[in-house]
Amino acid sequence: MLLTSTKDLKDKGFEEILNFFRKKSLWMLHYCTGCGAVELPPTMTSRWDMERFGMGPMATPRQADLLLITGYLSVKSLKRVIYTYEQMQEPKWVIAFGSCPINGGIYYDSYSVINRLALYLPVDLSIEGCMPRPEAIIDGFTKLMKQIEKGEAIGYKKYKENYEWYKKNQREVLERTTPVLEQEE
Amino acid sequence: MEQKELIKYIQENFKYDKNIQKIDDKQFSITVEKDKILNILSFLKLLDFKQLALITAVDWIKENRFEVVYILFSYSHIQQILVKTFIDRDKPEIETIKTLWEVASMYERDVHEFFGIDFIGNDDKRPLILHNWKDKPPLRKDFDSLKYSNKIFGKFKKDEEND
Amino acid sequence: MVNNYILRFLFAAFLSIILGLLYMGIGRKYIARIRRCYAGPFYQSYIDVIKLFSKKSISHNWIMDFGVMMGFAGIIATVIFLPIGPFTVFPDMKGNLIVIMYFMTIGYLGMAMGVAASGNPNATIGIARALALMVGYEIPFALAVILLVFVNKSSLLADIITTQQGSIFHWNAFRYPFAFVGSLIALQGMLGEQPFDAMIAPAEIASGPMVELSGKFLGFGFLQHGAQIFLETGIIAAMFLGGGTFLGFFTKQLFLYLVTLSIAAVFPRYRFEDAVKFFWIIPTSLVLIQLLIFLI
Repeated sequence: MLLTSTKDLKDKGFEEILNFFRKKSLWMLHYCTGCGAVELPPTMTSRWDMERFGMGPMATPRQADLLLITGYLSVKSLKRVIYTYEQMQEPKWVIAFGSCPINGGIYYDSYSVINRLALYLPVDLSIEGCMPRPEAIIDGFTKLMKQIEKGEAIGYKKYKENYEWYKKNQREVLERTTPVLEQEE
Repeated sequence: MEQKELIKYIQENFKYDKNIQKIDDKQFSITVEKDKILNILSFLKLLDFKQLALITAVDWIKENRFEVVYILFSYSHIQQILVKTFIDRDKPEIETIKTLWEVASMYERDVHEFFGIDFIGNDDKRPLILHNWKDKPPLRKDFDSLKYSNKIFGKFKKDEEND
Repeated sequence: MVNNYILRFLFAAFLSIILGLLYMGIGRKYIARIRRCYAGPFYQSYIDVIKLFSKKSISHNWIMDFGVMMGFAGIIATVIFLPIGPFTVFPDMKGNLIVIMYFMTIGYLGMAMGVAASGNPNATIGIARALALMVGYEIPFALAVILLVFVNKSSLLADIITTQQGSIFHWNAFRYPFAFVGSLIALQGMLGEQPFDAMIAPAEIASGPMVELSGKFLGFGFLQHGAQIFLETGIIAAMFLGGGTFLGFFTKQLFLYLVTLSIAAVFPRYRFEDAVKFFWIIPTSLVLIQLLIFLI
């Protein structure tokens, strides 16, 4: 399993001051694969008005701080998500939406949908629900802000420390050379 | 033409064995032999069924055969026809129809990927949707999806530490 | 007032950045109120800039670093020539409009060099659109400048401001209303607000020039945009609204920016070739009519 414990990686010193500004200005990149994408427009616009917290949608991974995985993730899009995540600049955070990235949700037995996102990317926060309502999303964002302020949202550091472990998991799914199930012929 | 007239016309003019069944007011199905599939499809194309909406398949595992379904639509008759044929499960082969409809080569590529049916004459067998697939075609009934999912994506355990 | 030119320059540069970002924050709040939201506090832009400079950033080659810096420096260099209320950096250079127009393009050219070096095709498309749009709005703006030069027999902004003093009806905005409207439309294009934001177009070309900029590069982009708002509204305020004291000048700038945003909040986007056509037909003919009235 994972190498280092969470305590060693906590933000210290000057980072704590910067964290105040970071939590106030989270720019997000939403990866719209699943059904959760439809919950975001009301969260962004006047009904729930996410911009109050200084959040806003961004067009490219280079500019964004926050990667939203909105819903189920197929193997093919997992590859793109990993590309996207690695293009983002530190500090960066990942939020998983709904039950699908936690345990597969209703796709628990699907041959093309991954079950646990945390095996492949460091997830800082999961918002459960199928799908979460905008209230739950806002609640999740405020929790993430608290985590950032305390310096506990350190997923990107974990990813760097345990790079081999994450890469091994990713390769297991993406670069297979043998069949998974034995062919009984 | 109305549906009744259409069915009557096909009964009289298509000489080979067939079994026509009405599904509802807007669609009916025709079941033919495997080697007559090009005949019936070109016959229907001349009858103004110009659009090939889909090619798909059904795995009848107990009877050990695949059912290949061609769905045709006509804008002038407002009718949909399901042309069906059965092929042996141990030797899943059928002639391609990409000479009749160019789009069929894409559908056949899809059916080949998900059911492992070979379309003779269509050499385009590159994977279309699945990523790096090494197992048996996933929509066959003897493919255990849950077992596959648990083995590769990991089974979710309740007591696992949520890191 | 300090006599040291370096201090005077630093004062102008920081003032333009700080006030530009403040206008940006107020503008965001203003747009949000039009859309019945609340948006963040008015100092949101400062938080964004600090956060961007605290992030890691990736540079593809030294031309990218240099280009982004040149874009930023080009705008700041233009601020030198702008009379900020009663204050100019070099008191004997009274803001020659032709020099200002010439310098303003350097910002865009630097940006073009920087983002083209980033190698992303979307960035190249975006900056090509921005430069094409410049060809559009420079025509009515240049014609308005020619008009004012004709009127005042001088191309110095300071002289243009002096002739507008006395009463509110001496402002060029009331003397030459058609030229004022034409320049306002040109200002809309200069700031890249809707309907002339084809170069940004987040849903289409992924925010155009900024597509590869991360961390501090985007931070410089933010600062550049802030200074640009200050500069361009400042030029129009000096040309048509008669400059004024510090407070009056800043109020006029903010007023012009909010007018721009009010138009931006309710308009969709022109395709950029349509935008260029629009600039060459509507605002250009407005200013031309004013020029003809003056000549007759």
